[in-house]
Amino acid sequence: MAIISKVIAQGMRRPPPAGLGGDKVVETNGLTKVYGKGIIAVDRLDLSVYRGEVYGFLGPNGAGKTTTLRMLLGLINPTAGSARVMGATPGSPASLVKVGAIVETPAFYPYMTGYDNLRLLARYCGVPLSRVEATLEQVELTPRAHHKFSTYSLGMKQRLGIAAALLKEPDLLILDEPTNGLDPQGMADVRNLIIELGKGARTVLISSHLLGEVELMCTRVGVIRHGKIVAEGTIEELKGAATLTVRGTPADLAMTVLATDAGAENVKELGDGAFSLKVDLARAAEINQHLVQAGVAVSELHADERSLEEIFMELTGTEGGL
Amino acid sequence: MLAVFRGELFKFVRRPGMWILVVLLLVLAVVVGYAILWLVYTVSPPSAARGLPPGTTFADFKVALYPQNFVKQTFSTWGSLGGVFALIVGVLAQGSEYGWGTIKTLYTQRSGRLTMLFGKLAAVALIVLIMVVGLFGVDAASSVVIATLDGKSIAFPAADEILKAIGAGFLIFGFWAVFGMTLATVFRQSAMAIGLGLAYGLVVEVLIFDLFRLGGIGVQQVQQWFPIANTGYLSDSFGAVRLRGTTALTATPFADATHAVVVLLLYVVAFTAISAWFTRTRDVTS
Repeated sequence: MAIISKVIAQGMRRPPPAGLGGDKVVETNGLTKVYGKGIIAVDRLDLSVYRGEVYGFLGPNGAGKTTTLRMLLGLINPTAGSARVMGATPGSPASLVKVGAIVETPAFYPYMTGYDNLRLLARYCGVPLSRVEATLEQVELTPRAHHKFSTYSLGMKQRLGIAAALLKEPDLLILDEPTNGLDPQGMADVRNLIIELGKGARTVLISSHLLGEVELMCTRVGVIRHGKIVAEGTIEELKGAATLTVRGTPADLAMTVLATDAGAENVKELGDGAFSLKVDLARAAEINQHLVQAGVAVSELHADERSLEEIFMELTGTEGGL
Repeated sequence: MLAVFRGELFKFVRRPGMWILVVLLLVLAVVVGYAILWLVYTVSPPSAARGLPPGTTFADFKVALYPQNFVKQTFSTWGSLGGVFALIVGVLAQGSEYGWGTIKTLYTQRSGRLTMLFGKLAAVALIVLIMVVGLFGVDAASSVVIATLDGKSIAFPAADEILKAIGAGFLIFGFWAVFGMTLATVFRQSAMAIGLGLAYGLVVEVLIFDLFRLGGIGVQQVQQWFPIANTGYLSDSFGAVRLRGTTALTATPFADATHAVVVLLLYVVAFTAISAWFTRTRDVTS
């Protein structure tokens, strides 16, 4: 919990992550959305997404992820606070020209083919029609491109949504639950596509409640709960340092060897010959060798790493709602 | 805005519902406006002529179906009812975007919301113009066929009258289309917008003033500022067909064409402003 508290504290207005420079693609200040009779969907949200990162916006259903993304796209007006997307007001042509997005379920014209739907968007965006075929190819929808959108499966609709988002060759991709409705193979394909898209200078802001997905794709994560960011950092920062658990006899000899190897302050006795070590996990084999050479019978040696799911549950107070 | 306009036309052309609507209007124009009437006037027995002005027969009514009267005939049949088709065009153009959720897809493209709205309005205006020209076109063609069948001469009204009629028809249908778009924008759906639009156009305004009239209260001073009344004034300004030995069958409109044009234009501007306000300020949550 101490590590999480630290991450929360650091997450607020922290400097840009190493290697990303200071170029903010998305910046919000006290962004707030209140619906109807005092339902606070987003609560004074301060968020910074830097050029070139794949930022995961993580939170349980109803945490405020979609509302935030809608505000960043200008679909919803904030009640208070401000936001800048690509240096411009959200929803303004200056902002949208560089942004590709999927918000919830992709919506297209059911009586038109996938190809014609993209042609239409290409007209609206002033994008050359050659991009239509390229993006359809990119999401592997070419064989069904000339079928009506109304005949598409949920997975194909999702792919068309991603194709539409890519049409403008955007600098910023905003993807709200992009793997919704996809089968495992489809999810893996989209994940790989997003990882590929996130390489280089393009920024990806992706919301999800699928932890495994976020862990695989994102370079940095913000966890939102009740409309507030409760933690922000890299996956490693959120998880905190992993520990090494060692069990060996005799215990006093094991303690001496471990204290020498890792430093006494990094060794915690768990009882029954077991110890917990705060060390670089890459040193596990070396430590094992030292113990054996010293005559310690090692019966157990493994890394203890908290899963993102455990962290998430702790931060959001949810169980099974992922 | 040109890109949006072209994009909207791209959608209209591929949308079967729009074609069905336009074709239905044109088919009805031929069937209801000409074919059935011609049949009735041609085959009705003399005994059926009771209640007509003295000395007139059903055959005398055929004059309304000949080319010199096709403009008057078009307004007399479609001046009020035709607007319903334009209302549906306006509703479908905007309401479906909410129904399919494509409004969020549109608003996350490059153009701003108001550009999207005005581009759509321009495209709807073009569709309405096509409907109006098509309507006068099939009516003119029908009148030629009937005149030929009856061995009558083919003489059309003056070109400037036809052009004025197309302009007036465009304004009447345009008002209905903008009314439909506004209702769809306000209610964010098609069903409610069509229902309310039809209810207002066909029932509410007429009913309100008929009730006043029933009570012997003069209502024309008020009514002259209401839209449906003005579509009527504008239609009636093209005159009614005069039958042999009778005066015109319809009363002189309370207000003239200029008044009707101004009032209808004001409604078009007002409804456009309402649509623009809702479009610009309202959250898209669908």
